[in-house]
Amino acid sequence: MKATPLSNCERRFLLRAIQEKKRLDGRQCYDYRNIRVSFGADRGCCMVELGRTRVLAQVSCELVPPKPSRPTEGVLFFNLELSPMAAPGLEPGRQSELLVSLNRLLERCLRDSKCIETESLCVVAGEKVWQIRLDMHLLNHDGNITDAASIAGIVALCHFRRPDVSVQGEEVTVYTPEERDPVPLSIHHMPICVSFAFFHQGTYLLVDPTEREERVMDGLLVIAMNKHHEICTIQSSGVVMLLPDQILRCTKITAVKVAEITELIQKALENDQKARKEGGKFGFAESIPNQRITAFKMESAAVDTNDVEEQAGEIIAKADPPSEVFANPVLHTQNFTSKHQGFLNSCSFANPVVHTPGTAQIGEGIESSWGDLEESEKEEAVEEEGESEAAAFECEKVETEDTSTLRETKSDEPIVLSDSEEEEVVILEPQELPRKTRTQTSSKQENPSKKAFNKRRRKKRTSR
Amino acid sequence: MAAVTMRLPAARAPLDSSAPRSGEKHLVAPGDTITTDTGYMRGHGTYVEDDKLIASVAGVVERVNKLVCVRALKGRYNGEIGDVVVGRITEVQQKRWKVEINSRLDSVLLLSSINLPGGELRRKSAEDELAMRDYLQEGDLISAEVQSIFSDGAVSLHTRSLKYGKLAQGVLVQVSPSLVKRQKTHFHDLPCGASVILGNNGFIWIYPTPEQKDDEAGGYTANLEPVPLSDREVISRLRNCIMALVTHKIMLFDTSILYCYEASLPHQIKDILKPEVTEEIVLEARQRLLDSEG
Repeated sequence: MKATPLSNCERRFLLRAIQEKKRLDGRQCYDYRNIRVSFGADRGCCMVELGRTRVLAQVSCELVPPKPSRPTEGVLFFNLELSPMAAPGLEPGRQSELLVSLNRLLERCLRDSKCIETESLCVVAGEKVWQIRLDMHLLNHDGNITDAASIAGIVALCHFRRPDVSVQGEEVTVYTPEERDPVPLSIHHMPICVSFAFFHQGTYLLVDPTEREERVMDGLLVIAMNKHHEICTIQSSGVVMLLPDQILRCTKITAVKVAEITELIQKALENDQKARKEGGKFGFAESIPNQRITAFKMESAAVDTNDVEEQAGEIIAKADPPSEVFANPVLHTQNFTSKHQGFLNSCSFANPVVHTPGTAQIGEGIESSWGDLEESEKEEAVEEEGESEAAAFECEKVETEDTSTLRETKSDEPIVLSDSEEEEVVILEPQELPRKTRTQTSSKQENPSKKAFNKRRRKKRTSR
Repeated sequence: MAAVTMRLPAARAPLDSSAPRSGEKHLVAPGDTITTDTGYMRGHGTYVEDDKLIASVAGVVERVNKLVCVRALKGRYNGEIGDVVVGRITEVQQKRWKVEINSRLDSVLLLSSINLPGGELRRKSAEDELAMRDYLQEGDLISAEVQSIFSDGAVSLHTRSLKYGKLAQGVLVQVSPSLVKRQKTHFHDLPCGASVILGNNGFIWIYPTPEQKDDEAGGYTANLEPVPLSDREVISRLRNCIMALVTHKIMLFDTSILYCYEASLPHQIKDILKPEVTEEIVLEARQRLLDSEG
């Protein structure tokens, strides 16, 4: 299939946002996405998630005759594969340019940097050496394949254990994992690639570009470095001219990032090692949540509610006085756990009203909204049909806390009559509703007693 | 006025299928057996396994004498001569442009098939070839007509009429090609104040109605004046209405869009996309369509 081309509007939007130092996912210019390393049950199998880019790496070994020019060295073989699973635009035979450049870069990063001791892979000089084969598959393409693949590669190599071998004279014995514990590869250092995307002819720089950002970038600079600040590989591509001090700045940033990533890798390896030693469960079945094994999981982001009260207070102070305010809305507790129920009950007012199952509203209460209330009447009618079909929901804990803090700030609103154009202004007493009705936590729209209200509103509508 | 609306995931209510269907349609899903009678020839979208004819795509079964085929509900656009399409230029090559029209292969717009700015008719010279990028660049949207189809299914376009050409300011909506109804004309000036081009390939272009008609010089001058807010609201509302119709798989043509627009007027533009409001609007539009038909 073809990848849909980027429209001019999107391109301009992305470039303008980058000019204003804004990224689509809210990161800063030098921030990496969340990196997650998980290991499989086999030794040498690991999956790295860099944001939504996923790479799966697997290391395997085999005894082969060595290369004639290097009789005492083992053989390393690296292979990265792109498939339509990763992105619709990637077809098995089509994206040769991208594939070749990625493979070359990873080979230079891992093989030419001599991070793996190849002499130690020799069993019998000139006859038998270990061939270590690293296969990587791109499972999802959301930008920056290079970094994800390099992390996956080096982690898989560190995680891998090869069978133990002993040579006695002419006899070579390869022990199975049951006879003798497999031996790790001897790895000197861990080279990690860090990618920099340049925009506007090198004026703006972003670390770890996403797929959209990669489409509009001018040039790409990849620096592979290890934690000892040794540069293993540098590659610059695209149509951007780089100045020396830009490259030096990038190397400094790389040093910082590589240190963080190496630490993360070490921790992940240690955790896995511990899990295996203590006989705990390990493997993908444990590390990937079993409810959605092939779907993406959005990580719950903490919402900063520290200054919500002041902000809400400011908004209310600046807003026009509301036409009607209903204090003490009623909450139906279907959606919230008992813990929240207790919390909400402890608030000075009773609970807000949940109208359509699974919906809630946080309002700003700025202008009169009769139009909205009419719509809510229709929604209520629809909702009553849909009630029977409502299934269990996932409870968003952060949102409920957010709404409850906001509600708290508005409970002090006085009931004010405004001079709106409507002839009749109604203030209703709150009533306990039998079942679900909509939560409208804005100071304007709380209308718990719908039934009496609806009749009046119907009258009002015909009168218009 | 609400600032944020939050919605927790819930099971979708089954769509209201109260509208009577015209005739029985044999709908199949991939893997469904169409028939066990071996007398039929298999057409597109089917395959034979264990003496059974099984569908390989989701769609409607069509039968012509002994040929059984399944017409898929959602698929890439298959060009037919005479179709109006909206496409985006992806490449500028020697003497032609490659245009992306949501088909399996990129379509081709030859230099000899375009109208030059100013509407002049002459043989294109070498200077025209060098100046191709001045006419159409990568990323530009054009409206064109299908001139011919190559043997592999790639489509050749032409813009040899003043009504075709480069598109300026507007909104592009991408829908499935099977939802766009084949009509006499695909360029509509809706009474609500906007114009719409319903491309057969599923690309729908909504734009503000130009004041002067047929004054454009061959359709290459991009009118980049700021569009007034009222026009923009009409265009946004139309776009949301089209999305509402698409969710309920209603065929898109000027009348259905117009009815849906009028049904949506009591609501705010952004509320049209809420599931409850969508259902209500589409029901009303569908009712009006049925009333006007029969």
